[in-house]
Amino acid sequence: MRRVSVDIGGTFTDCFLVVDEKRAEGKALTTHHNLASGFMASLEDACQQLDVGVEEVLSSVDAVRYATTLGTNALIERKGPEVGLITTSGFESSVPLMRARGYGDGLSEAEQQDLAGATRPVPIVPRSMIEGVEERIDYKGEVVFDVDEDNVRTVVRRLVDRGAQAFVVATINSVVNPINEKKIERIILEEYPSHLLGAIPIILSHRVAGRKGEYARTMSAILDAYLHDQMYHGLASLESVLRKHKYDKPMLVVHNSCGMAQMSSTHSLQTIHSGPVAGLEATESLSKQFDEPNMIATDMGGTSFDIGLVTSDGVKFYDFNPVIDRWLISTPMTYLHTLGAGGGSIARYDRLWGAVEVGPQSAGSDPGPACYGRGGKLPTTTDANLVLGYLDEKNYAGGSIKLSKRRAERSIRDHICEHTGLSVEDAALAIRRKVDANMADAIFKEVAVKGYDPSNFTLLSYGGGGPLHACGYASKIGISKILIPPFSAVFSALGAGSMNQLHIHERSLYLMLYDSLERKVLQDFTAFNATVGQLEVLGREDLLRQGVDEKDIQSRVELDMRYGNQLAQTAVVSPVDRIQTDQDVMTLLDLFSSNYENRFGKGSAAPEAGIRVNVIRVVSYVEHEAVSLQTSNASSAAKVAPISSRDCWFDGTEGSLPTHVYNVADIPEGASVDGPALVETPHTTYLVYPSWSLTMGKQGSAWLEQNSVN
Amino acid sequence: MTNAKAPSERSLIEQFLDDNVLFLGPDPQIMADHSVSTPTAVELAAVDAWQDRSDEVHLIRNRLQTACNESFDMVEQMGAAPGAKWGDLIAGIFSSQGDLALSSAGGVLIFSVLAQHPVKFALKYWKDEPTVGINDGDIFMHNDARYGNIHNTDQSLTLPVFHNGEIVCFVGSIVHEGENGACEPGGMPGGAESPYDEGLKMPPLKVGENFEFRKDLLTFLQNSVREPKLQMEGMKSKLHACLRIKKRAEEVIRDYGIEAFMATIRGTLTDTEAEVRRRLQTWPNGKVLTNVFADSTLRENVLIKIRCEVSKQNDELIIDLRGSSPEFLNRANNTVLASMKGMLAQLFLMFIWPDLPRNQAVFAPITVLTDPGSALNCSPEAPNAQSMMTFFPAFTAVQNAVPKLLFAAGFRSTDIVACWYNMITTFVYGGFNQHQEFVGNVCADLNGMGGAARATRDGEHSVAPIFASMADIGEQELIEEEVPMMKLVPHKVMVDNCGFGKQRGGHGYQQIVTHKDTDAWGYMVNSIGAKFPSTYGIFGGYAPGCYPLCKVKDVNVFDVMKDSRDLMRFTIEDIMNEQPFPDATYSAHHAGLQFELAEQGELYMITQGGGGGYGDVLERDPADIAKDWADGIVSKKTIETIYFVVMDYNTGALNKEATEAARAAERKARLARAKPYKEFAAEWTKDKPPANVPYYGSWDDPTVLYLGTPDKTCPADAIEPVMMPDPKDVEIAALKAELKALKA
Repeated sequence: MRRVSVDIGGTFTDCFLVVDEKRAEGKALTTHHNLASGFMASLEDACQQLDVGVEEVLSSVDAVRYATTLGTNALIERKGPEVGLITTSGFESSVPLMRARGYGDGLSEAEQQDLAGATRPVPIVPRSMIEGVEERIDYKGEVVFDVDEDNVRTVVRRLVDRGAQAFVVATINSVVNPINEKKIERIILEEYPSHLLGAIPIILSHRVAGRKGEYARTMSAILDAYLHDQMYHGLASLESVLRKHKYDKPMLVVHNSCGMAQMSSTHSLQTIHSGPVAGLEATESLSKQFDEPNMIATDMGGTSFDIGLVTSDGVKFYDFNPVIDRWLISTPMTYLHTLGAGGGSIARYDRLWGAVEVGPQSAGSDPGPACYGRGGKLPTTTDANLVLGYLDEKNYAGGSIKLSKRRAERSIRDHICEHTGLSVEDAALAIRRKVDANMADAIFKEVAVKGYDPSNFTLLSYGGGGPLHACGYASKIGISKILIPPFSAVFSALGAGSMNQLHIHERSLYLMLYDSLERKVLQDFTAFNATVGQLEVLGREDLLRQGVDEKDIQSRVELDMRYGNQLAQTAVVSPVDRIQTDQDVMTLLDLFSSNYENRFGKGSAAPEAGIRVNVIRVVSYVEHEAVSLQTSNASSAAKVAPISSRDCWFDGTEGSLPTHVYNVADIPEGASVDGPALVETPHTTYLVYPSWSLTMGKQGSAWLEQNSVN
Repeated sequence: MTNAKAPSERSLIEQFLDDNVLFLGPDPQIMADHSVSTPTAVELAAVDAWQDRSDEVHLIRNRLQTACNESFDMVEQMGAAPGAKWGDLIAGIFSSQGDLALSSAGGVLIFSVLAQHPVKFALKYWKDEPTVGINDGDIFMHNDARYGNIHNTDQSLTLPVFHNGEIVCFVGSIVHEGENGACEPGGMPGGAESPYDEGLKMPPLKVGENFEFRKDLLTFLQNSVREPKLQMEGMKSKLHACLRIKKRAEEVIRDYGIEAFMATIRGTLTDTEAEVRRRLQTWPNGKVLTNVFADSTLRENVLIKIRCEVSKQNDELIIDLRGSSPEFLNRANNTVLASMKGMLAQLFLMFIWPDLPRNQAVFAPITVLTDPGSALNCSPEAPNAQSMMTFFPAFTAVQNAVPKLLFAAGFRSTDIVACWYNMITTFVYGGFNQHQEFVGNVCADLNGMGGAARATRDGEHSVAPIFASMADIGEQELIEEEVPMMKLVPHKVMVDNCGFGKQRGGHGYQQIVTHKDTDAWGYMVNSIGAKFPSTYGIFGGYAPGCYPLCKVKDVNVFDVMKDSRDLMRFTIEDIMNEQPFPDATYSAHHAGLQFELAEQGELYMITQGGGGGYGDVLERDPADIAKDWADGIVSKKTIETIYFVVMDYNTGALNKEATEAARAAERKARLARAKPYKEFAAEWTKDKPPANVPYYGSWDDPTVLYLGTPDKTCPADAIEPVMMPDPKDVEIAALKAELKALKA
């Protein structure tokens, strides 16, 4: 196998390179002005480690896989075309009003609570660029008010006169019957034919999202239209750079649905947040290869902490209404929970409780923690870690950032000790306790609310800050086994290397599997089977367009089901792709109840209220060979020599403890070091708490295990 | 003359009275008291033992808070009521004495002060009652607002949590469930004439044991409402959410010990109250008086006075609402005192100190004074299903007063705001839906109240109700799947629909609704403010407008769409001004519509209100006017006659010099219109309310209340309840008189 996969993050561009049996991790600073530069620099870094040339690699790899932040950047920088929105008359305010709650979408809980301060984001489509057309389709798809061509032409011209460079057409109930959206598209094309210079891209909402809910679907289409050009030019220019370096295959773009596709089969929206999702894909692959069926993936960076789940029962966790930046959309994304906790999280004294509070405010990287010496005055998690001895002043982030312990101490003294009377070290320990507890609570809620017991999971910890805090947050939720994965510094890029080509198509429908009023179980399977068939065709077409062999295409049918008129939609992987018999229906009903009770508790199922299928989703995919990872059962009694020793402070111990510092490269496979210990790697530090030990695996992986429960 | 009694005789009588209670109605002592209970010896010992470990207590608190949030998510996901789905609920942990100590971050925070009463009732009356008792596994429910909660459409469920045989806390959840079997569908009957028209009336009631509902009681409850499916789903979702919090509380006790748990629960309450007192200390001492008027009982046009005097002294705040209107004994707009306190607590939790924890101690340092028997402290025999029609105005009165104190406060945690729009302007519906189910509930888009202007920025359009953050107006496509209503205009921001000012309020939207695919369908609307604004501006900002209900009957709009599309209109003003459908009947009403059946294709139209303005209109930045013009939300007339801005309406270009001249001229004109205050007061001050307005409440003296005419009064401390005639009888009498006159 020869494969390049790259994940562009906010600070670093990570590359994972596979050349036959060899593996390498490359890193370079992200070059926001031209992402291709960072991309090539990280690839060069990896190639150098394997002593191969970039062109040699690019000309021989099976694929370049790419998780990009292009879309996120374009949204933040507001670089997009002027979008004109055409919607059903009467619904012109639906997008501006953002379902009312939109003022708080994408904000912290504290900001959401502050009604007096509630302020919506500056709209992507200003009110003056929204026009209604006279048409209406009802909930079951019946046209009750046909499109009037003259009305549409007037509206279209008006929007073009106001500067529309792209059109979004989003009419009510178009996912049930798209006829009016298609008619409007035809009229626009008649007015502005695609072969002429004045051609304007048209995005129809039902093609972007198949789910009912006009606001979230319209926003999905708006973001798609807004990001389309930026994404296209960014990806095309990268592809062009790759071609100059002898890469002659289509690039594969990583999607936020744990799949990937060629650029020609990618919606721009599907790329948002694809890097973190790729980390979850890597977790899934690791879970299989390491035979650890239940894993919690945790990725701690400078400003955020991502949590994802992989479970042995194969349940897929989606976010059906993810928030991108400040916008609620309805294209399903693999579910990840993001908490505002990281190295930059700011600590403060909370007068109300007489206690230390941490986050969600973050010093970010600019000005950054006080110890960075870049103007930050407020104490952060990183300052606490430095004061406690966990970080090396002179060798942080590979020596790229020099830290000042004096500044860290001063900020903690001024902002925490002053109020609490604690010593600087005790105050730093309080900060650690709080940030670890915040992460532990978030992990617990994410796992428990889905019906699982966290203590049955192995915790996976990666990202710059993960291994430094993992013992802290794991022990607070009763997890005593942590895996720092192979290639943890570029784990998301590794995930991109293990992805399948995959497309998701879904459609809302009103299908009663059990009608409790009539006391009837579904007898007519036509609608179900026809919908699955249509969605399968769409997925197959996507994959065939990318040149895959039809016989390699597989699919999976998933159903969002609910009791009565609930909001909850529990995703069920259907054991059948067509309903043929009563038994098939009963199997689905049982499966749903079982999943539901797992999630909400025994006895919570309410089939008496009726059971509906709201959405059918077909996942079409072609399996690719995953990057193989090496497990290790080796045990070594080798005595590892520390490179140095420092005094470190730990929760529950009086004063400081002398703590050995090891270089990760000095610890052979199977060898262990007992805590307290620090293991330094080029990109992060593993902190081993007292009464924990670290055992080295292969490819940089390591197990942290609690020896005994305190 | 009374006989002097020996203590032993008194005791005998008291024992007799205790043993011979007719029935256990709402306990006045429990219902009147919103303070936090005195700590028990166990709690005090626990707090004492953990007083130097506040960081650890904080970690425990966060863990319990996470549990509350987890349970909130569960109810929201599992519930089927529109209220549950869109956040009209709360989940929390109560102390062993029934004080709500921790509750979910989101949801309706009125409950944070209201949830305690049924728990305290159960503790006082059922714990030692041999036929009831409180045991591990018991499930208690309640919905009668006279025992706590806002109105009977809210259902609470609580579970006791035991440790070593002792109750250590309660866990609970409250949800606005909607339909409750009242005289009108949807659970909030504006037409109720007594509490017995208001549907289910559960006092705190044991509905299950061993963590399971009793099937006979579940059947009874389902049998009492129009939506048995909803009743069952609501009960199950609350039970399983409560079981989840209970499990989490038990895990905390297991991990940290019972003492730490008790210290956390009690400490959360005492620390919160102490913090509120510290914050109040930073406000200037003083007194602010505001008057607010409700213009309808929902059945007739009247003027209902809400008198409000807010006094701040050191670390206490006194809200004196005495002198407000008497209760209406056969109208649904009366407020149970506890409900109103909940609403006022909401003001502090959402608009003044949103950073405070959500528990009842937030309101403990605040005293509320009312006249018993008034519309804000009604008697048990007064219906209260639409108490919002008096306690929302009371909220507005306090919201209007507080900025004057807060402006100079030493500590503020958010912006100063004018008055938020305060009415639940939406449709309540009922009937057989397109799936032949009988349903009755309220549309979630009541959540789109217009935001008030802030000191430094405009208000947001239709952004949130006054009682919840992150509330949702929903998606029409999803709503249309469940009910046959088709909103031709679901939420269209309306021109000029806000309070003007230096910073303008957020706009409200208009709605035009019809229905199809069923012949048995009807609507209700429950709002005031069709003739007199219900919301106000501050510091010179304007109030928003008045909002009538409009109807177009004798039309089938679906036929119009098919055969006469040119007649279709998509704004209320176009439909009502142009009256485009021939042979249709157009009418405008106050916004108190009792349940009314409609024909398919008929139109019902309402307007969600805007927020109040902040500051002088002449100080509004002309560039903001130009932006509002580009967004289509301000009219030429308003630009020219309110804001005095001169601009090119085609290009949006401002004429700076002409604007300055127009504003200077208006300032001059203002001075010319002005009068010395004494002169103004002499001209406008009257001794009594006018005879042509049915006026209820005090005039200048808060101890005397007027009862609808200038000649009928009662003392505020001995209120005579008001009985209103049936509006239909009034209409019949008028028609009879007309007929008689014609015959004569």
